[in-house]
Amino acid sequence: MRHMRNTFLALSILFCSLIVANPVDTGHAKASLITNLQTADQESFYVGIRLQMQEGWHTYWENPGDSGSPFEAIWKTNTSTIVENVQWPTPVTIPYPPLMTYGYEGDIIFPFKVFRSMDEDLSKISVDVDFLICADICIPEQASLTLDLTSINPDPLLDIAIKNLPTEFIQTHSTLNGDQLQVTFKSSKPLSTAYLFPRENDLFVYIPKHDFIQLNENTYQISLPILKSNFESFSGVLSLDGKGFQFKEKIQSIANISLWQAILFALIGGLILNLMPCVFPIISLKVLSFVSMGGDDHRKIKNHALTFVGGVMSTFLAIATALVIIRASGSMIGWGYQLQSPVVVGILTLIMLGIGLVLLTNINIASGLTTLGSNVQTQNNYSGSFFTGVLAVVVASPCTAPFMGAAVGYALLQPSFATLPIFLSLGLGFAGPYLILALKPEWISALPKPGAWMETLKQFFAFPMIATALWLMWVFMVQTSGDTLIELLILGLILGASIWMIATFKSHWKWSGMLITLIAAFQIFNTLPVSSNNLLENSSADSWNLETESKLQTENQAYLINFTAAWCITCQTNEKTAFSRTRVQEYLISQDIKYIKADWTNRNEEIAIGLARYERTGIPLYIFWKPGMNSSKILPAVITEDLLIRSMQ
Amino acid sequence: MKLVLNLLILTLITPMIFGAQIVLQNPKVNELAPTFSSMDSNGSVVKLSDFVGTPVILEWTNHDCPYVARHYEENNMQTAQKIARDKGFIWLSVISSTPGDQGHVSPKKANELSLTRNAYPTHVLLDESGDIGMMYGAKTTPHMYIIDAQGILRYKGAIDDIGSGMKFFKTSFADATNYINTQLDDVIQGNSLKVASTIAYGCSVKYNYD
Repeated sequence: MRHMRNTFLALSILFCSLIVANPVDTGHAKASLITNLQTADQESFYVGIRLQMQEGWHTYWENPGDSGSPFEAIWKTNTSTIVENVQWPTPVTIPYPPLMTYGYEGDIIFPFKVFRSMDEDLSKISVDVDFLICADICIPEQASLTLDLTSINPDPLLDIAIKNLPTEFIQTHSTLNGDQLQVTFKSSKPLSTAYLFPRENDLFVYIPKHDFIQLNENTYQISLPILKSNFESFSGVLSLDGKGFQFKEKIQSIANISLWQAILFALIGGLILNLMPCVFPIISLKVLSFVSMGGDDHRKIKNHALTFVGGVMSTFLAIATALVIIRASGSMIGWGYQLQSPVVVGILTLIMLGIGLVLLTNINIASGLTTLGSNVQTQNNYSGSFFTGVLAVVVASPCTAPFMGAAVGYALLQPSFATLPIFLSLGLGFAGPYLILALKPEWISALPKPGAWMETLKQFFAFPMIATALWLMWVFMVQTSGDTLIELLILGLILGASIWMIATFKSHWKWSGMLITLIAAFQIFNTLPVSSNNLLENSSADSWNLETESKLQTENQAYLINFTAAWCITCQTNEKTAFSRTRVQEYLISQDIKYIKADWTNRNEEIAIGLARYERTGIPLYIFWKPGMNSSKILPAVITEDLLIRSMQ
Repeated sequence: MKLVLNLLILTLITPMIFGAQIVLQNPKVNELAPTFSSMDSNGSVVKLSDFVGTPVILEWTNHDCPYVARHYEENNMQTAQKIARDKGFIWLSVISSTPGDQGHVSPKKANELSLTRNAYPTHVLLDESGDIGMMYGAKTTPHMYIIDAQGILRYKGAIDDIGSGMKFFKTSFADATNYINTQLDDVIQGNSLKVASTIAYGCSVKYNYD
């Protein structure tokens, strides 16, 4: 063996002593240096190290897999020439079960980009290449190659090699599922094979084939087994039917927020939900009804409170189940998505308006509805309490979107067994005050005595409800058109009239108005698309797609991305108080920051995937990046003019 | 006759199909090391359980692998073996090369190699089937494991911090941190190791993959 090493040494001295050695037979490969230099005045061009390996022999990619090592090249150039690092071609799998290696077989070219200043004339370029070449056994081989650049001789093979380099970026989204990492990506072309070559060498178990499934028309998922679960980012090359794409991904928060934390957040979030403008009136009315029951019959209060809690919980359970089913069908969904349908927005508008009007009149809608079939005087009229619970959750839904983002977002990214407890915890928080009331009915006496103030308060609560209705009308208009909004307003008028009828007349005919409203509503909503394609107009912003970020990062262009939607009230507030301010707009222009808007007013799967990359399923989400930053940064969800500018400095 | 031929083909093909079901395990450090028994180069059966109460070092080896060859040519591996055995460790060199592949040796040749290279292992284990190698997830030669006196796996990975590639052949062992030599005392004293798991480098273990 020592003998052999001495021979190597002698050979390499021999090679070095030759002025131009190109190509060189290294033992199991022929090594040569080639270029695509066309003219003597090019400032940048490529050189390539070509290895023509004997059949059955291979060398390695930058991550060699279970064994092996990548080649090393030491360049000798004049001072005015810089040779960049190698641009690795797409590797292939070279299995030696149970081991797996990544590399190249046959004839392979490794391109290097070269920059030179024009001060010096073109001269020779030399390189010492050390590489490990393996079949069943491995042999380190080497070559000293020299290329004379003065005699121009471009090799078309190098251009083909450059063209085939995996330079294009692909957007991926990864989630950890037990000991598997599931990577989702899109491809417009139908695919039959996919393999993910990770650049980091200690994260994954290298296996011959990755489980590969098609989620829907153009979305695919591959699974690969992981060695450890506490890594934050990874990158590499995704080989799709042999064509390589670069990817780089950060894995966030999977371990940051535990299931128990999420459940706790959901509980607190649910509690806060009681104070939302669209919920508070409903809730307060329920409390008022308890007050009017008086402090004497605790058992009755307890039962009613429990029934209300039951209504809330079953609605949350129904929502959670629906979400789990929708997700199981493969759709990308996010919270707030329900408001992407103008039909849902229209119905919610009418409900809000209706409740507002009812509050202004002296009818009790819950007892009103139950008069149809049963006796109001019945002590056990609990259906009213149950449906108030259902109603409270329904009217709360537009408000959950901006405020419940983190917990609901987490829930939707979890396996089903975790989604349900989080939603139930949200419901429990929401119903929390009544649950306490059910346990301690005597606490009701701490509230003021029933009286005329109750009626005044009830009427006052009409205004937050009508305000919510106004906001929903605006969302509806953005989603549809001004003409359609008029139709909705007419519906509102008919609704108002029918509520007045119910409040004023005594006979059963008073319900006919409501019937007309329902028929009219059906007529109008039936003509609306489930989701429309109108986009929120904004002239000063560029539109977003999945490749935007990686594209801008490679271009070294700073950017600010605003994930927004018309129905997201937090987004709209931020829009008015920060993004649309002159100072902000001027700052963006002066600092050459590209402002990009991702509008989620209508359903858009690409945006859902984009959000998921940041472990979000809801908005607002603001992303900022400028050259020099390792990765983009998430700006606060509630933001002011000053905060926004400061976070970009 | 035809039946015999068919049976013959079937017996040849079946192992080819099922032979592919080889899986490399990944034992965890600070957990009980997998137990094994193997024939050594002197024809006696060696079991891991024979050494309860004594710490053990496993060294995956292949004398024709350029990485292993350099460790032995420059006396680096022998020094490590000497240091460890002087501290009371059992040193087991394991050869998992399949018959006919690089590094596979007869018992006689194995002893000859130890003699000519001044190697100092307690036993050389001939793991022709690769079973022990796969049980330990041995990927390269060398690939090192330290098991403490209680049978707990304390270290797995490379012998030192030089790493793969030409860098290995150019870096002096004097400039490297040897993960075995430097951590023996901690294993004996039951301290936690500064480095408990690294990526091994070297030639691939020549398992029977055909």
